[in-house]
Amino acid sequence: MTDDDAELAPAEQVPENAPEAATVPAEVRSPWTIVVRVVAAIAIPVAGYLSLSWAFGFLREGTANRLLIVLVAIALGVGGVFFAFWAMDRVVDWLPDRWRDTVRPYVFVGPALVILSVFLVYPVINTIIMSFKDAQAKDFVGLDNYRFVFTDASMLRSIRNTAMWIVFVPLVSVTVGLVFATLADRLRHGEAVAKSLIFLPMAISFVGAAITWRLVYSYRPAGFGSNIGLLNGIKVGAFGGDPIAWLSQQQWNFNNLLLMVIMVWMQTGFAMVVLSSAIKAIPSEIVEAARIDGASELQVFWRIVVPTIMPTIVVVTTYMVINAMKVFDIVFVMGNAESNHTEVIAERMIRWFFIQSNDGRGAAIAVVLFVAVIPVMIWNVRQFRQQEMTR
Amino acid sequence: MSVTTPVPPPDFTPTPTVRARRGHATLDTRHAGWFTRITIAVVVLLWLIPTLGVLVTSLRPVHLVETTGWWTALAHPFRGASWTLQNYRDALDTGGFQNAFLNSLAVTVPATVIPVTLAAFAAYAFSWMEFRGRQFLFVLVVGLLVVPLQMALIPISRLYIDGASIGSFRFIPDFNLNGTFLGIWLAHTGFGLPLAVYLLRNYIGSLPSSIIESAKIDGADDFTIFWRLVVPLSVPALAAFTIFQFLWVWNDLLVAYVFLGGTSSTRVLTIALANLVGQHGENWQLLTSAAFISMTLPLVVFFSLQRYFVRGLTAGSVKG
Amino acid sequence: MKKSRWVVLVALLAIFATLLAACGDDDDSGGSSGATGTTLAGQKKNTGKVTLMSAGEQNETDAYQKIFDDLINSKVDYKAEVESVSDFEQQFQIRAKGGTLDVAAAPQPGALPKLADAGQIVSLEDMGFNIDELNNLVGKSFMDLGVYKGKHWGLPTNINLKSMVWYPKKAFDAKGYQVPKTWDELLALSDKIKADGSAPWCMGFESGGASGWPATDWMEDIMLRTAGVDTYDKWYKHEIPFNDPSVKKAGELFGKILFTPGYVLGGAAASANIAFADAPKPMFDNPPKCWLHRQATFIAAQFPETAKAGVDYDWFPFPPIDQQGVLYGGELTVVGKNGNRPEVVDFLKRFIAQDVQCKMGGVAASSRVSPNVNVGADCYTNKILADASTVLIDALKNGTGRFDASDLMPAAVGSGKEWTEMINYLKNGPSYLDTALNNIESAWPK
Repeated sequence: MTDDDAELAPAEQVPENAPEAATVPAEVRSPWTIVVRVVAAIAIPVAGYLSLSWAFGFLREGTANRLLIVLVAIALGVGGVFFAFWAMDRVVDWLPDRWRDTVRPYVFVGPALVILSVFLVYPVINTIIMSFKDAQAKDFVGLDNYRFVFTDASMLRSIRNTAMWIVFVPLVSVTVGLVFATLADRLRHGEAVAKSLIFLPMAISFVGAAITWRLVYSYRPAGFGSNIGLLNGIKVGAFGGDPIAWLSQQQWNFNNLLLMVIMVWMQTGFAMVVLSSAIKAIPSEIVEAARIDGASELQVFWRIVVPTIMPTIVVVTTYMVINAMKVFDIVFVMGNAESNHTEVIAERMIRWFFIQSNDGRGAAIAVVLFVAVIPVMIWNVRQFRQQEMTR
Repeated sequence: MSVTTPVPPPDFTPTPTVRARRGHATLDTRHAGWFTRITIAVVVLLWLIPTLGVLVTSLRPVHLVETTGWWTALAHPFRGASWTLQNYRDALDTGGFQNAFLNSLAVTVPATVIPVTLAAFAAYAFSWMEFRGRQFLFVLVVGLLVVPLQMALIPISRLYIDGASIGSFRFIPDFNLNGTFLGIWLAHTGFGLPLAVYLLRNYIGSLPSSIIESAKIDGADDFTIFWRLVVPLSVPALAAFTIFQFLWVWNDLLVAYVFLGGTSSTRVLTIALANLVGQHGENWQLLTSAAFISMTLPLVVFFSLQRYFVRGLTAGSVKG
Repeated sequence: MKKSRWVVLVALLAIFATLLAACGDDDDSGGSSGATGTTLAGQKKNTGKVTLMSAGEQNETDAYQKIFDDLINSKVDYKAEVESVSDFEQQFQIRAKGGTLDVAAAPQPGALPKLADAGQIVSLEDMGFNIDELNNLVGKSFMDLGVYKGKHWGLPTNINLKSMVWYPKKAFDAKGYQVPKTWDELLALSDKIKADGSAPWCMGFESGGASGWPATDWMEDIMLRTAGVDTYDKWYKHEIPFNDPSVKKAGELFGKILFTPGYVLGGAAASANIAFADAPKPMFDNPPKCWLHRQATFIAAQFPETAKAGVDYDWFPFPPIDQQGVLYGGELTVVGKNGNRPEVVDFLKRFIAQDVQCKMGGVAASSRVSPNVNVGADCYTNKILADASTVLIDALKNGTGRFDASDLMPAAVGSGKEWTEMINYLKNGPSYLDTALNNIESAWPK
């Protein structure tokens, strides 16, 4: 670390002992120090240049030992980002006083914003422009693609289904996650194990999850051997009769519900983990005080736990809603969505954009997704304003 | 990083609305009644059953997997013929798993650390620094959560291979990042940042203003406050996001295909796994064992980080 | 203090310089090979790498990689790599449009015109290929599938036979059943099997996001045999509408097999939800629960490992109706914008050459047949493939075979509405046929 940091007070004494970075006295410089510094000023960049160019060449080569490549890659990726921030902050220190405070926030948010602009903002703008163009993204066609989005029967179904997804999935996931986190918090033993088991599905890759649920919903009619899907195993074993093609049961959107269950299974772990850490941050004496005042456990939950962790509930719910909006692969791999009436907006987008190769329509569907998120954003902004006022 | 800074957090309460000093967390509060235990058991069981199906399937011989439901194996748990480890051997033999594992590691570690670092700095600035456009920029970042990353793949590929120019002025050169680790790190960073900033901003923003303000009054600069105060206090949130980003990158298939490719030298674990499915095949027994193999590292990460993200909070409460 | 800041600043500058330098190097190599892309191979030394993207399975592509290493990479100054991609259609679009595509073996020629229009793929003419030579090598009819605006956009590198009906030979012979030579004999056989108390056909049309595609193959096989090759060509080119009487007739004949009670194991509606890979399995029960299964060569990979080709099971050509026809699928190898390099030309020439193609036929995991007419049946270790190759090479030489129409149609129809409406047809029964055809017709891009 640098001489600045060496002067720093240990963190546990903050804020009592303020860091004295700003008041470090100028050190006495001997000619030797200057020579050493000059040599360092030349040697360090040269060494840096050599090692970096070697590393880049090495990474591109691909014939070298894989393990070594991996180690170099990790060192470069991890070390690089830390070094960049540290160096940028140093550079800001070097600026005139009145500029520092103006510039420093941008040094902090800057890298994130630059990356976001390249990797997300630019594609969004690209998509919006494309949504007014034809299938090959060549000529402008006005609102034709939007007319398609709001008239095509399959598209309309996908909008209706997505609406169901964004209600059902967050509702169930957050509720189950919250209740589970609250209850698990009181376990004397095995809390970590219980939580890990709910979290487990998040560790499964999507390919793995698809197999998992095929083993639940699989359907084989008579003659094709015994059913290897759990649901039909239970159905035939316990109730007799013929197996059911679950994913084609359109009545009451039952097949849609079965697909949503998959996402609930995969995502509840996220809600539970985040909510659990918020619950653990509630100071125990408030809860104790309420209990002493005679509040029931249910009252404690509703009057204290829920209001205290409300900001976290908002965050988790927002994330769940947005994820439910973007759901695509679950629907995509589980049968013919159009025939089963299980289409969702993002699935339509992928289909039109990548499979049917209709850039304009795919882009227009994506824009509908962007617009649909605006109410969620307004809700969030309100929550954040509130948070800033009360902290 | 947060992990390597084992500085005990100072006395504070991380919740926004309550400033009361925290009491000792006694074990008395942990009384689980029957209702609690049964509910937890039921939920855990429901969540576990599908996974159990995969586990059992992965341990059964092919012909049984094809012909009988996995639960039938549980009826005769000690019949030797109904269990085998062959699937794991086969899965490890096919498709160069070792190479794929190393590639996954080289992609995942930096693609987790970089966005966590970037987002932590940004979240601090959004929470505790004053600058023009703060609110707007933050809403923009959160709004970007909704962007389906599929829409970004083609423009980014073009940027990687052609660069970008206005007229003849090339303001982004063609770095030719396609097929390089750097290219995929940056892509994952971009796609992971909105959630990272959002989660960390929520947490860092809820730290009590009193401790940040007093550190400022005492003359600490922002970098110091961030590094010495905010990061140690935010270990739980950092650990949580690290887990999510790690899992997401580790399990990603699409981005890896687009930016790294699926040749035998470049493919990551998920690609090797997806290829076992094959275009026409349904090698369930291979798939299930491969799924478990690929799950091991994420689970190790989860278990090792879980310790931190509970500790960060309990340490605070115990100290007070 | 001040000096250490200098150090940092200079270090930063050095890093940027390195980055730029590292990228500059790549510019040079990329630019030089791009500039010489229109000339023939061998003029400029290159250090390139050619990546062939394939929808093949990994054990198959890994075997091809070995062949490439032995027969190509050992002789040239570039490295040819084959890549197995599980969601090929999507990846193909992303890479072609994103400009990162080298070479891809694309099973759907219908996707090429859009990419050609947008300048995202390179024609064989612009790469400097001799088209006449290639026409002789793989048959003009196959080459013509890649023609758009007077240029060839794909090089046929793989072909597989679709007009195949599989049957459990041992049990079949024991029952004294005869291989049908005509459509009527096929129906008579079906009736006989049904009378013997078993379902003649087993079918399955579920295939995840591509559910329904096996039904399009049925339609095409019947179209070829009822309407003939000329109408078939008009059909996929949309010179006749999709709800044309000739198409309707094919749908009705298909419906005859689907909906005659007792013909399809489990019934047509159930087959919509049976995984296509599961479908032939009841054929291998003892006694077989079904006796006939129409599917392309690759389905043999789904048969039980213990079953022997030619002993336990065998196949016969889908019988003629009004005439005979040969339906095949296959791959056109397409060069993306990024692949416009001399070493890619060299690679393609070596790839399609007889030695490599014959060696590829020997791969046990393979289900492909070489379109190179000089690759004889003796190249194939698998008897099924050897038989199929005889039929296919014959069809290629005579131009009587036809490519899978749904793969030639625009994706909105061939990989979209037709799949969906065929599933709906299965579920809703014969009366739905008109609706299905009308819906498909209205989905045809204007």
